Amino acid sequence: MFARLKKKIAEEAAIAPRPGGATRIPRSISKESVASVGADSGDDFASDGSSSREDLSSQLFRRNEQIRKLEAKLSEYAEQVRNLQKIKEKLEIALEKHQDSSMRKFQEQNETYQANRAKMAEGMALALAKKDQEWAEKLAQLEKDKRLLAAQLQEMKNQSLNLFQKRDEIDELEGFQQQELAKVKHMLLKKEESLAKMELEMETRTRELSHAQEELLASSQVCSDLSCELEMLQRQYSALEEQRDHLLAAETGAENKITTLEQREQELQMFIQQLSVDLQKAEEGEKLIKHLQEKVLSLEKRLEGNLSGEEHVQELLKEQSTLAEESSKLQQHVLVLEQQYAEQGNRLEAEIAALEKARESDKAAQLLEEENANLKENRNEYESSLEAHKLELKKLKEEWSQRETVNVEIAKALEETRKQREDFQQQVADLTTLIKEKEQFLNEKTEALLQKEEEIDQLKKGHDIVLLQLHQLQSDMEACRCKKAKREESTGKELNVLRLQIEEEEEEETLEARSEPNVSILATALNTTLNGEVDCVDMVQLQKENRDLEQQIVEKNKTIKQLQQRMLELKKTLQKELKIRPENDIFEVREKPNPEVPTASTTVTNNSDLNDSREINFEYLKHVVLKFMSCRESEAFHLIKAVSVLLNFSQEEENMLKETLEYKMSWFGSKPSPRGSIRPSISNPRVPWS
Amino acid sequence: MGGFFSTIFSSLFGTREMRILILGLDGAGKTTILYRLQVGEVVTTIPTIGFNVETVTYKNLKFQVWDLGGQTSIRPYWRCYYSNTDAVIYVVDSCDRDRIGVSKSELVAMLEEEELRKAILVVFANKQDMEQAMTPTEMANSLGLPALKDRKWQIFKTSATKGTGLDEAMEWLVETLKSRQ
Repeated sequence: MFARLKKKIAEEAAIAPRPGGATRIPRSISKESVASVGADSGDDFASDGSSSREDLSSQLFRRNEQIRKLEAKLSEYAEQVRNLQKIKEKLEIALEKHQDSSMRKFQEQNETYQANRAKMAEGMALALAKKDQEWAEKLAQLEKDKRLLAAQLQEMKNQSLNLFQKRDEIDELEGFQQQELAKVKHMLLKKEESLAKMELEMETRTRELSHAQEELLASSQVCSDLSCELEMLQRQYSALEEQRDHLLAAETGAENKITTLEQREQELQMFIQQLSVDLQKAEEGEKLIKHLQEKVLSLEKRLEGNLSGEEHVQELLKEQSTLAEESSKLQQHVLVLEQQYAEQGNRLEAEIAALEKARESDKAAQLLEEENANLKENRNEYESSLEAHKLELKKLKEEWSQRETVNVEIAKALEETRKQREDFQQQVADLTTLIKEKEQFLNEKTEALLQKEEEIDQLKKGHDIVLLQLHQLQSDMEACRCKKAKREESTGKELNVLRLQIEEEEEEETLEARSEPNVSILATALNTTLNGEVDCVDMVQLQKENRDLEQQIVEKNKTIKQLQQRMLELKKTLQKELKIRPENDIFEVREKPNPEVPTASTTVTNNSDLNDSREINFEYLKHVVLKFMSCRESEAFHLIKAVSVLLNFSQEEENMLKETLEYKMSWFGSKPSPRGSIRPSISNPRVPWS
Repeated sequence: MGGFFSTIFSSLFGTREMRILILGLDGAGKTTILYRLQVGEVVTTIPTIGFNVETVTYKNLKFQVWDLGGQTSIRPYWRCYYSNTDAVIYVVDSCDRDRIGVSKSELVAMLEEEELRKAILVVFANKQDMEQAMTPTEMANSLGLPALKDRKWQIFKTSATKGTGLDEAMEWLVETLKSRQ
């Protein structure tokens, strides 16, 4: 810097019109003085830096020497000054000129600089304002778009999630339905099978039943036949019994008759015997009668012969009449008897005929009895067979009733199966309707899904378009940034140039300021030597101007600083935006394939350094600690490292954790003693007692 | 002391639980695979901020399966779980062609870890039920699997939601683990 300054000063010295050789000596002198003063001041600063009294004394000494030298020189200069008066005048002229020119230069430069600055500042401010506005608008728009898109995306995500869930649910439902259907179908098939079986069984049963019924019919017919027969037989039997009774009655009657007849016979025989006896008597009576008649005749003859004995004859007559009467009576009796006998004989004959008839009827009765016996046997046989038939019938009836009950049961089962089948059919119908409904629902859902997908597609397209716009905006932004950078560069360059100029000017000023003292020294020297009439006023004016310029420069510096601060702020905001942008990009990557971003995000993250990153995912930490505290020891053992990394444990602390867990997992061993940061209030490890 | 008896049994019968990590990018289907393996059902999942650990029994072999969350922010914590790992199931979304590069670089970085030097690698080319899914060979080439040395690996095409391919993969894993013992 100083070298450049010196160079510039030298150039200016070369450029500035100066009187040739005369100026050189004082210039050189001034240079020397400047140098010496500079050196002194340098020494001063140096001594200030490392101060010691000896140095100070030596310096004082040196100063005194210098003063002496300077005094000597001054005396020389006093002489020289007179010589130099002219030169000074010339110099003053030259200085004036130089000052004028420099002033002009200053002014010009200042003006141009200010103009430039103002223009620049205005342009910059305008451009910045415009850019700001534009960017703000764009940002606002972008943010709006972003928000809208994010909201839409969120919505879409939610919707898609809902849809997925619904689809899952529908799938599940379908699965369930299918399962249910399969079950129902299976059951139905089984039922149908069982039904078929039952039907077959039923058919066989019905066949059996019909068979049995036929049999029954046959048997009942047989039974009816048999019963008819039986009835007939019973009728016959009853007839026969009647006959038999009749016959028996007849027999008894006949027997009675026979007995009576036998009695009568006996009686008759007796009677006959009596009769015969009577007859014999009657014969005897007749004989007697004859005898008597003979007697009567004899007596009558005697009466005729004896008329004397009349009374006796009378008596005899009487006797005779009685005897006659008796004989007539006897005759009559005999006649009656004979009649009776005849009658009895007739009667007996009739009776004998009747008896003979009865005997014949007895034979018939015997035959009838035989027949009866046969019939009885037959009857018995028939009865036994009837009983057998009855038994059979009973058995058949029982069987029939059993069959009937079985049939009823079968019919019930059939009805139940039919009902079940109906139920199943209804269920199937319900299920099919349900399935149809579900299918409709599904169709609707799929349509809705398709619509949603279309919407998604549209949104994606919109998103793409927005992305493209974003990219364009980004590229615009980059272009703007480039432009801005260029502008910044150019402004920076200009600023640098300006700064350089300012610095140069400052340097010049400082130089001038530095030279001012010289000049002032010179002036004072001159003043002192020349006693006034010097243009101190000019110098003061120059100094004032210089101060003004310096103030202006300071102000400009301030404005420059302000502008720089603003620029920094703008840069920061830009960087912030740029920081936000990558996150969006990542978000977009997840949602949409973006050919640019993956290459940017292929940085491996799983082995990136964790120690310096203080931004620990709190949720992750929470989860890991929660799991660490709740899971099994064998699992917790594997989590020690994660916990240690997340909570930034030291190696010692990590080892302590491991030991504690190992102690907990094993049966034996002693509990590791806590140490280090576990007991933050105990400085020394515990000292055992013994 | 919940695992007391299990530890006794394991110490008595010498059947150590195999430790398996399920890794992969977010949304690859790790959690779905874990629960498909454990309970045989498809569960509805949310992004895993953290991890899931379950004991899975397969062919009389007990596995302690760790499903670590695959989001970018928590991927760095994977390596906290690497020690004593018998096998790594690396799940890749077969339809996510854009992030296969990320998946590859994560896989490669993971396999470079010393703690996983002896671990068996099983790659699940998941979501094979989707239409635009990559084939296993395509996937293997994209992941740079043929270039792996000193590593037992196999790729299987799977679908966690349909449950296809998981059995074959587990079969292979069991056989490989048994043969390695």
